[in-house]
Amino acid sequence: MFAYYLRLSLQSFRRNPGLTGLMVMAIALGISVCMVTLTSYRAAARIPLPHKNDMLFVPNVDSWDPANPYDDDKPGNAPDLQTYRDARGLYASTIPDRKLIMFKAGGVLSGGNQMAPEYVSARMTTGDFFAMFETPFLYGSGWNAKADDGPEPVVVLSKETNQKAFGGANSVGRTLLWHDREFRVVGVLNDWEPAPKFFDVSNGSFDDPEEIYVPFSWGQILELGSDGNTNCWKTEDIKSYQDFLNSECIWFESWVELRTPAKVAAYRKFLDDYVIEQKSKGRFSRPLNNHLYTIEGWMERNQVVGTDNKAMLIMAFAFLAVCLVNTVGLLLAKFLNAAPVAGVRRALGASRRDIFWQHLTESGVVAVAGGLAGGMLGVAGIWALRAWYGRFVQDLERALPTDYSTFVIAVGISLAAGLIAGLYPAWRIGRAAPASYLKVQ
Amino acid sequence: MGLRPIFSALMRNGAGAILVAIQIALTLAIVVNAVFVTEQRVSKIGRDSGMDDQNIFAVPATSFEKDHDFFAMVRNDLAMLRSMPGIVDAAPTTQVPLSGGGSSTQFYSLPDKKGEKSPAAYYNTDEHAVRTLGVKLADGKSFTATDVEYRVKDQQGMPGTAVVTREFAEALFPKDKGQFVGKTFYDDQGKPTVIVGVMERMHGAWVGWDKLDRVMLAPLVGPGPGIRYLIRTEPGKLDATMAAVEVALRKRDPNRVVGKLRSMQNFKQSSYASDSLMAVTLSVVTGLVLTFSALGIFGLATFNVNTRTRQIGTRRAVGARKRDIVSYFMAENWMVTTLGVVVGCVMALGVGFWLSNQFGLPRLDLYFLVGGVAGLWALGQLAAWQPALRAAKVSPAMATRSV
Repeated sequence: MFAYYLRLSLQSFRRNPGLTGLMVMAIALGISVCMVTLTSYRAAARIPLPHKNDMLFVPNVDSWDPANPYDDDKPGNAPDLQTYRDARGLYASTIPDRKLIMFKAGGVLSGGNQMAPEYVSARMTTGDFFAMFETPFLYGSGWNAKADDGPEPVVVLSKETNQKAFGGANSVGRTLLWHDREFRVVGVLNDWEPAPKFFDVSNGSFDDPEEIYVPFSWGQILELGSDGNTNCWKTEDIKSYQDFLNSECIWFESWVELRTPAKVAAYRKFLDDYVIEQKSKGRFSRPLNNHLYTIEGWMERNQVVGTDNKAMLIMAFAFLAVCLVNTVGLLLAKFLNAAPVAGVRRALGASRRDIFWQHLTESGVVAVAGGLAGGMLGVAGIWALRAWYGRFVQDLERALPTDYSTFVIAVGISLAAGLIAGLYPAWRIGRAAPASYLKVQ
Repeated sequence: MGLRPIFSALMRNGAGAILVAIQIALTLAIVVNAVFVTEQRVSKIGRDSGMDDQNIFAVPATSFEKDHDFFAMVRNDLAMLRSMPGIVDAAPTTQVPLSGGGSSTQFYSLPDKKGEKSPAAYYNTDEHAVRTLGVKLADGKSFTATDVEYRVKDQQGMPGTAVVTREFAEALFPKDKGQFVGKTFYDDQGKPTVIVGVMERMHGAWVGWDKLDRVMLAPLVGPGPGIRYLIRTEPGKLDATMAAVEVALRKRDPNRVVGKLRSMQNFKQSSYASDSLMAVTLSVVTGLVLTFSALGIFGLATFNVNTRTRQIGTRRAVGARKRDIVSYFMAENWMVTTLGVVVGCVMALGVGFWLSNQFGLPRLDLYFLVGGVAGLWALGQLAAWQPALRAAKVSPAMATRSV
């Protein structure tokens, strides 16, 4: 029976090609606009390392100005970064299974086989970084706690940096010059482009990952400032780098890995104790305002998904709604126009249900055609956006990935939407009394 | 001709009319808000930066070897750049305006953090900055070569003089109507700075910041090891000059790193990318919504005419003129459109209110709603015009013929 209905649908399309084309196009455009906006929304809202969402945490303490909250618009938020003293203070805790502190720096890298000296971005961090964020290694590995303490002159390169410096060869054990010092390569990362760059959202959630990774303590030895944001609230007389480290300026980020709820609870208590102790030393004059964010919570707090993104998604679905209402109207017109045919079929013994199913099949065919066309248009739209914006937005490849699962979703939404759009017209035509149409004929 | 019979005829075929009305309502709600947001983004992108941003580019340089003389590098690089053909002027800077990267700090009109306060983005540069940026001075003059401090060590505090934007000066000295030259303001350490020149306008670092116009140029270079050169070219010579500068800088001194050259226009486009993406997407959606609404109205009107040929024929047979038939269909369409527009107004206001509440977008301007209502009325009538004309062509003889 279904095959017969399909054949009837095709015949009906041939009778009104213009009207049918209009319906298919309406659905296709609605779907494709939704697909493009949905793709960029999903890319921004994706949670990296979902299996670690209840294990990785950002400890967040409020060391800010007693007179003003860190963010006037959201007075409940503590600063997104930490002072050097607090980063070290939190890092001293032995509760976490793994822990890291870090900041973003930079400097000129030279040496290697064929590399012209170049200014590279560096993540100054501690050894657990690689295991906590599950970075893929092409060669070698990260460094251990001993290298953190030394600190030993070791470095992990990104795949791209290794390509530039050593032509992509296994460079473990080779040396490079950074800030005029010799660093030994211990590992080379494979392609790793976390998007969003969840561990450094304060500097840009779609920024490129750093080009090299160096033990944290080298930052203090080389007296490096932050290549990212530095914020200060207090009037302090800063004369030396040591003064700067001891100041209330914030530019460090901490993460901890806590594998059991008991450890989470213990760590929360540690945070409170830490702040209370600092209060007794005359710091942390603001009310106790500690947070322990999961990856998801951290992304939400930092509004990684921009409001524009959400507003566009809503507009896109509203547009789809217009397209569907349009389709309902056109289907109704089309079916009622062909009512005499349905009348004849009723008179020849088709039940109301048969007529209903026949017309619903026709709606479904329109929907699938619209969905397929819309899916293709959507992919084309994503490519067009990339071509247009890729010229001046380096991170677009990550912000707008070609995600073919969206194509499947698009066809699915379209089929569902088309069937819903077809329900009323199909029901209406099924109810028409056959006699009246036969009479006119 | 009264509207009552048209209305009762409409009620008999309610579903089609209601669908058109819903479609018009949704269209109005979407289009009014989309156009409103688009217009704001377009004017945000198009606003005057105060600089000759079409003809400026930047290049970073870093001295990295021990004992490399940073200040000699800067002086020699700049002297060479300024003598190159096609270049209007060049100046050092810490960051590039409009790039999204920069520094800002809080200033006060009185010492000890007293009086009026305002943040400003600041650019450490030399006496060539005003000419290089192409900013207009409304009052006073630029600082001179002797004002420029070449700082060897990292120290806090600004040098004693500055060129500031009018916007910034007004925020600090709201009562001094336009008389800002010679005024002194203070940083949070209480260190004084005297205003020597006032810029008409200049944009700072962050295009999303509501205080983008509060900028100061400070006569300060150093301590290195990194710096950027801003270079302004003669109109139309940007690309050629960029290529020449890259070669010349690398050749002049190989013992330092010359970074990637980027035009200010390129920085600007990156900074405004999300705004232009929003504007483009919303314009496309607006265009599509309007097209489909028009096609939908047209399709349903055509259908109405087709199914009512007998009725039209009968009316013609009993004396209705062609004009009456046309106005009948136009009036019918007008009623449906009006219903949709009324519902749409409520929805548009609701959506606008919700958008501004939820996403911090500005509140919908009512002029846009008025424009939208007028536009949709016109669109509805336009879409119904051709089907109505076709209806008028139905011959009176149709009344006696079976369909």
